[in-house]
Amino acid sequence: MTDLQLWLSAVEIGCFFGMLALAYHLVHVGAGFFNFAIGPYAMMGGLCTTWLVITYDLAVWPAAAIAVAVTVVLSALTELGVVRPVQRRSGGGELPALVAVAAVLFTIQQLAGYVFGYPTLPGQSLATFGPVTVGDVTVQPTSLLMIGVALICFALVAVWIRFTRTGRLLRAVGDSNHAAALLGLPVNRIRLIAFVLAGFVAALAGILFAPKAGVNSLSGLAWSLSGFLAVVVGGTGSVWAPLVGGMLLGLVEVFLPYYFGGQAHVYGMLLIALLFFAFKPQGLFVRTVRA
Amino acid sequence: MSAENLRPRPAPARWDLRRVPGIGGLFLGSLAAALIMFWVGSDGYRQTLVTSAVTYALIALGMYVPYLMAGSLSMAYSAYAGIGGYAVGLVSTRTGLPLAVAWLVGPIVAALVAVLLGLVTRRLSGFFLAAVTLLFGMAFSAFLIDAEPVSGGSGGLGNLRPLNLFGWTPSHYQVVLGSVVVVCVIAFLLDRLRLSPWGVIVRTMRDAPRAVEAAGVRVPVLNLVALALGAAIAAVGGALFTYSAGSITPDTFTLNIVFLAIFMPLIGGAGTPWGAVAGAVLAVELTLNFPAFQASGTLLLALGVLVIMLLAPRGVLGYADRLRVRTWALLRKEPHGG
Repeated sequence: MTDLQLWLSAVEIGCFFGMLALAYHLVHVGAGFFNFAIGPYAMMGGLCTTWLVITYDLAVWPAAAIAVAVTVVLSALTELGVVRPVQRRSGGGELPALVAVAAVLFTIQQLAGYVFGYPTLPGQSLATFGPVTVGDVTVQPTSLLMIGVALICFALVAVWIRFTRTGRLLRAVGDSNHAAALLGLPVNRIRLIAFVLAGFVAALAGILFAPKAGVNSLSGLAWSLSGFLAVVVGGTGSVWAPLVGGMLLGLVEVFLPYYFGGQAHVYGMLLIALLFFAFKPQGLFVRTVRA
Repeated sequence: MSAENLRPRPAPARWDLRRVPGIGGLFLGSLAAALIMFWVGSDGYRQTLVTSAVTYALIALGMYVPYLMAGSLSMAYSAYAGIGGYAVGLVSTRTGLPLAVAWLVGPIVAALVAVLLGLVTRRLSGFFLAAVTLLFGMAFSAFLIDAEPVSGGSGGLGNLRPLNLFGWTPSHYQVVLGSVVVVCVIAFLLDRLRLSPWGVIVRTMRDAPRAVEAAGVRVPVLNLVALALGAAIAAVGGALFTYSAGSITPDTFTLNIVFLAIFMPLIGGAGTPWGAVAGAVLAVELTLNFPAFQASGTLLLALGVLVIMLLAPRGVLGYADRLRVRTWALLRKEPHGG
């Protein structure tokens, strides 16, 4: 555990998981359920950018902008077209919403496979500068961007939730959709904002992470699970909690395969899920509420 | 309160007179199965299609008890089907035992694994359960690749020997026919189970677990039984598919199949197990037998699921049933009205 290069890699993956978890957190705070389609959103961001660059010779930045826009539209459609009608019909039950997001997850995967093809495509780097060397660690520009953007995202969301009117409304609506609706708060608009922001963050994460290992239409499911685990491990007590959860999973993802061989991180993830769900389902950081 | 007190009240008398529980479904299902077998004939490709449909149907039927009756979405069914399949593969290549043993051992092992996983996850529901069981499915296929000396690694097991029942080796057509019969029997039994006192308790448990618990029923035990039953059924499906295909690899039963299996009852109709079977047939028709290439069929299926979920939440069979009721009502009214 003394190889700094590995630590850097773990932090980078941790930031990626953290951003996915942040997207989960936004939807969870605003709409009170876990949007399993977060992973496919990130996949859409990464894959769409690469596809536009390769197929239409677009520059990276416009391609990334289009990909983010597409993902945000998908995310908004998830809420408007699927989750909202299903929840309205089924009342408060969890299962219908879960099945609905599973269907969305599957549909986005198939859509991406149909439009962009099934092979793994390399990610496109947004950075234009060369690798930076600090001591004996070489920091790739993509890693630097990933970590930097993740921190900025978290900071912005933290400020937004704490200090703006919309951010406070988000928490009010998330605490109880029903009570918020009785108070005359714009529940539907706030929920939509949460979904759009989540789609935006997830797409950004996917675009930034794609250069590391490439991306294909089926990457989304594993990412969904990692992000979900990160948000559960972190807890919902603070905006920064998902980042801590993500970092923990990043360590697992990097160091377990390094010491125990290729697939050890899959077992590690399962073990962490079982342990946390059984003993600490509320996560590491919990918001204390005065009774 | 004993189970008898929870017996469903005799619903409208019309229902009582019309049929023995589940017999109508069995009749229609067998009729459809007979038509399909007639359509298949000796065409090898169509036989493969039916085998796939049977496998999908059995996995979906396996999920029916825990998912639609008990209301907990466990997604480890790729692993259970895989256990059934590997049981056939291992018995066939590593032992000299009769192959029929695999059909006994596979479902039992799958049920045991399901009970273990159910014990570990007994306090989870909804999203948490779905996530853990998905991770379990992933870990299981990782394990299959890692445990190369046992499972043959990513290459899997091939060259399985044919079944030999007391000197009789069934032809491929007979195997297909047999598996269709198995599906019909299991769907019928599950339909009966759904209407039985046990089924009513399980379904009540989905809607009001505390009331059932307070009535003296052990909800966790009931959940475990439901999970074990489902896993065993899925393992039978995996075993049938592996036998027909003659080989199995870690990629044979992917998480894709689990997602399809969740959608099948939605497509066909969640009201009865036959809905899952109808959904499986439709899914195979769309994903494997679609005139355009495979991908567009799966996409169409996924979009179809979303549309069905929004417009006809009771699925194709539910929709057909409503249509039937309305037609009956119209037919009856006309003489009076005229």
